[in-house]
Amino acid sequence: MNELPGGVIEIGWPQLLMATGFVLVVGAVSVRLALGLERDLAIATVRTHLQLIALGLVLRWVFGVESAWLVIAILVLMMAAAAQAVVRRAPEAPRGILGSSMVTMLLTGFTVTFAVTGLIVQVQPWYEARYVIPIAGMVLGNSMNGIALALERTFADMDSRSDEILALTALGATPWEAAGPSVRTAVRAGLIPTINMMAAAGVVFIPGMMTGQVLAGADPVAASYYQIVVMLMVSAATAIGSLLAVMLSFRRRFDAQGVYLEKGYRAG
Amino acid sequence: MAEDDTGPHVVLDGIDFSLEAGEVVDVAGPSGVGKTTLLRALARLLPGATGSLELAGLPAEEYIPAEWRSRVTLLPQRFALVPGTVRDNLLLPWRLKVRQERTPPPDDSALAGALDSVGLASISLDRDVARLSVGQGARVALLRVLLTGPDVLLLDEPDANLDDVSAEMVAEATRTFAQGGGGVVRVRHQRIDGVAARRLHLAKGRLSEASTP
Repeated sequence: MNELPGGVIEIGWPQLLMATGFVLVVGAVSVRLALGLERDLAIATVRTHLQLIALGLVLRWVFGVESAWLVIAILVLMMAAAAQAVVRRAPEAPRGILGSSMVTMLLTGFTVTFAVTGLIVQVQPWYEARYVIPIAGMVLGNSMNGIALALERTFADMDSRSDEILALTALGATPWEAAGPSVRTAVRAGLIPTINMMAAAGVVFIPGMMTGQVLAGADPVAASYYQIVVMLMVSAATAIGSLLAVMLSFRRRFDAQGVYLEKGYRAG
Repeated sequence: MAEDDTGPHVVLDGIDFSLEAGEVVDVAGPSGVGKTTLLRALARLLPGATGSLELAGLPAEEYIPAEWRSRVTLLPQRFALVPGTVRDNLLLPWRLKVRQERTPPPDDSALAGALDSVGLASISLDRDVARLSVGQGARVALLRVLLTGPDVLLLDEPDANLDDVSAEMVAEATRTFAQGGGGVVRVRHQRIDGVAARRLHLAKGRLSEASTP
């Protein structure tokens, strides 16, 4: 049994192959129950191996280079991918919100990531890839679901309230005033999963980062402190990101005169 | 003209129409002819509309859209009360920026008096609007507009789906508003109720004078 620094037991190719045996169990279930998932499962298994090993190799290289520009470039790429994922997951949102989604992910991602690494963890130097990249990954990965949910709900809720929006606009409401209740409903919907996750952490499940640190040999209490910081930063990122995404995009459903574009009045 | 997802197309064309202070005009015509579209155009609530509007001698462009709509106010057929109490709904316009720097909101006794004027004296201001009948809701929605004191009131089928008593109350409130100097344009299918001085007919995108009631 090989041990890595910190007492971590190393997993090699033989162990990786053994783990792949789990997939055979899933495949057998799929064949037995005629689920038709064998091909997808095989592709997903290969992708998991390739993507994660590639990520490991890239991170190993980035950690070695120690370049601030390289870290920033990787963060921007991660945020662009998150922005695209948000747009894909919010089909009710109007076209052309990729730009505002990108601004949202950049502002939220950079602000929250560097607030954590700079102010709380106090990483030296500030661009230390070993901290900045995984933390940015957690900020983006965990907040984008909430942000997409908030966007989706905003536009779906405005459609369900189109009569009320017309009545409010007729009384002289601005688009923000007419859309307000939908925005509140949506941001709330975006935040609830994060709050539930915070409430269940440590009781129902051991969160991923803490698990990782404990496996890597860290003291469980020290790991729990890190995990608390991560949970709180995710909730902040989701709140800031949801509000920002909705505020930057809700106006697209109104024309220049501030009239809500009901389904019959939308171009395409 | 109106534009929608099938591209720009003409719904109304060559509409030339004026309304005097204190005048009530009814617009009638077949279903789908564009009566609601006309009201929305007058309220500057029609996306893609072109043409010119004037209020008190000033072109519409002189008013910001919210200001125009607070003076030329549409009560849509689906009047959409917001979740909350009767009081929440009646005071809703004062929660909007356009009204905050103008008149102060009416107090409870003024609101109760307003309810009384449309036959809703028995309805508490604290009543949840979800518990109102259709006729009661329509009258609360009308009051929500009337209390703001617009110059022109645009009513889309104000007495559709109302019982005779509610319809009469709505007609009476409309008459009182006009006697106070407000102009009213009503789109309605119902029988002539003696409130309107003029009756216009809308067909094939054009307005024409109908016989005087």
